[in-house]
Amino acid sequence: MRSPVDTRPPYGLMVWTVISLILALAFYAAPLRIANGPDLMPMLPLMTLFIWSTVRPRFIPPIVIFVVGILNDVLTGGVLGVWALAYLVSLTIARSRDEDGPTREFGPVWVRFLVVLAIAIPVAWAAGSLAIGQPAPIRPLLIEGVASALMFPLFAVIFVRRRSLRGTFGS
Amino acid sequence: MAIGGSSRRNDESGVRFSRTFTVALFLISIVLIAFDRPQARSPALASLRAGITDLSAPVLDLAAAPVRGLSNIGPYWRNQARLAEENADLRQRLNETRYWRDLALQLRDQREVYEQALNVESPATQNRIGAWTLGDPDGPFVQSRLIGAGTRQGVGSGDPVLNVYGLIGRVVETGNVSSRVLLLTDLNSRIPVMADRSNARAVLVGDNSEYPRLDFLTRNADLEDGDRIVTSGDDGIMPRGLPVGQAQRDRQGRWRVRLYSDQAPVDFVWVFPFEPVLPPEPDRPAEEEMPVADATADAGDAGGLPAPASAEETSAGGEP
Repeated sequence: MRSPVDTRPPYGLMVWTVISLILALAFYAAPLRIANGPDLMPMLPLMTLFIWSTVRPRFIPPIVIFVVGILNDVLTGGVLGVWALAYLVSLTIARSRDEDGPTREFGPVWVRFLVVLAIAIPVAWAAGSLAIGQPAPIRPLLIEGVASALMFPLFAVIFVRRRSLRGTFGS
Repeated sequence: MAIGGSSRRNDESGVRFSRTFTVALFLISIVLIAFDRPQARSPALASLRAGITDLSAPVLDLAAAPVRGLSNIGPYWRNQARLAEENADLRQRLNETRYWRDLALQLRDQREVYEQALNVESPATQNRIGAWTLGDPDGPFVQSRLIGAGTRQGVGSGDPVLNVYGLIGRVVETGNVSSRVLLLTDLNSRIPVMADRSNARAVLVGDNSEYPRLDFLTRNADLEDGDRIVTSGDDGIMPRGLPVGQAQRDRQGRWRVRLYSDQAPVDFVWVFPFEPVLPPEPDRPAEEEMPVADATADAGDAGGLPAPASAEETSAGGEP
């Protein structure tokens, strides 16, 4: 049975979700390197999509994942559809594991995110390699993947800061 | 840690989406990948991309602004101690530069007179358009930069783009207020170049590595380590003489180029609008006379007779 609170249209949360996705795309594509060197930018759009699809799955239908993926492709100058396919495949598989609602404990959530990364990176690499007609270098993708995996806890805390963190990871 | 609370919420559990719709999105993604290959990108998709990047350019610029400011803080404070000394040095150089400026102006005037006398049209590359980079994804599939200048500022597809040190690439997509620059290191980049010292020609081919390679060199090409590589302008798309980098051999003995533009992050760039020199279009009468000219040339080769000295003579000879 739905509580009275749940019947209110959560416009604020929807706006925050949209803004966070736009910010993730903007910071992912913007020139944020202070000096030359390896690009350690994590996959912010995928992290944001994953967190919202865990916390508020109804805000992240497949069409949102698709649009974010397409925007990611356009902003990074890549082939249209590569990241859209990678995000769709990885997040759909992650969801299908537990369609009655994912767990909210951080440990399993982090592991689930690692699984999403482990699916998204090979899919993106394969699709991108197919598009450019030769094997794409895997190193930049792996660097982004490792950066995403390591930064995920911090990112998750920032995104769900308004919620109770008691009994959280590390405490 | 519990993300979003320690227990499931009734309003969020059991969320299911249409599988048919999801599968349709999979298929659309695959179709897009097939039709948006860099080698065969349709104009419709290209204009769609340009439109989206135009819309996103202000947001990206805003996102990059704090880091751009942050990156200037360190050099600013480090340089404070040297500013006075540099100032004095620069004043002295300014005085010396005045002499060179006068000489340059004098030579420019002379060149203009010569060009008028010889009826030479030199390509106009003096007008340059400055722009900040708005996006610099170094992804595995494409190496490009999004810059904050487009057709409204005069940027055109194919225009060369330089930073303070040298060529970084060429414009491949233009929107109204933004453009995408394909870097020299990208897999799809091909730029005709030459050695400044010997004029040895080659094609600079990007392979996603830091040092693009030199292909199509002749067998005995006169190339040495450290040779300055510049654009040759052989394709008619880029002007001749833009600085690219230094030639060097890799471990396999292949020639590669250490790019000048790698000396600093690509933050601010200049686009050089360039009108390519179009090949002459033969007029119809000349085309009709070509077989006659060829036949005459063949006869000349076979019988030792001289071929017509010029097309003008050939054309005149063909007239009744």
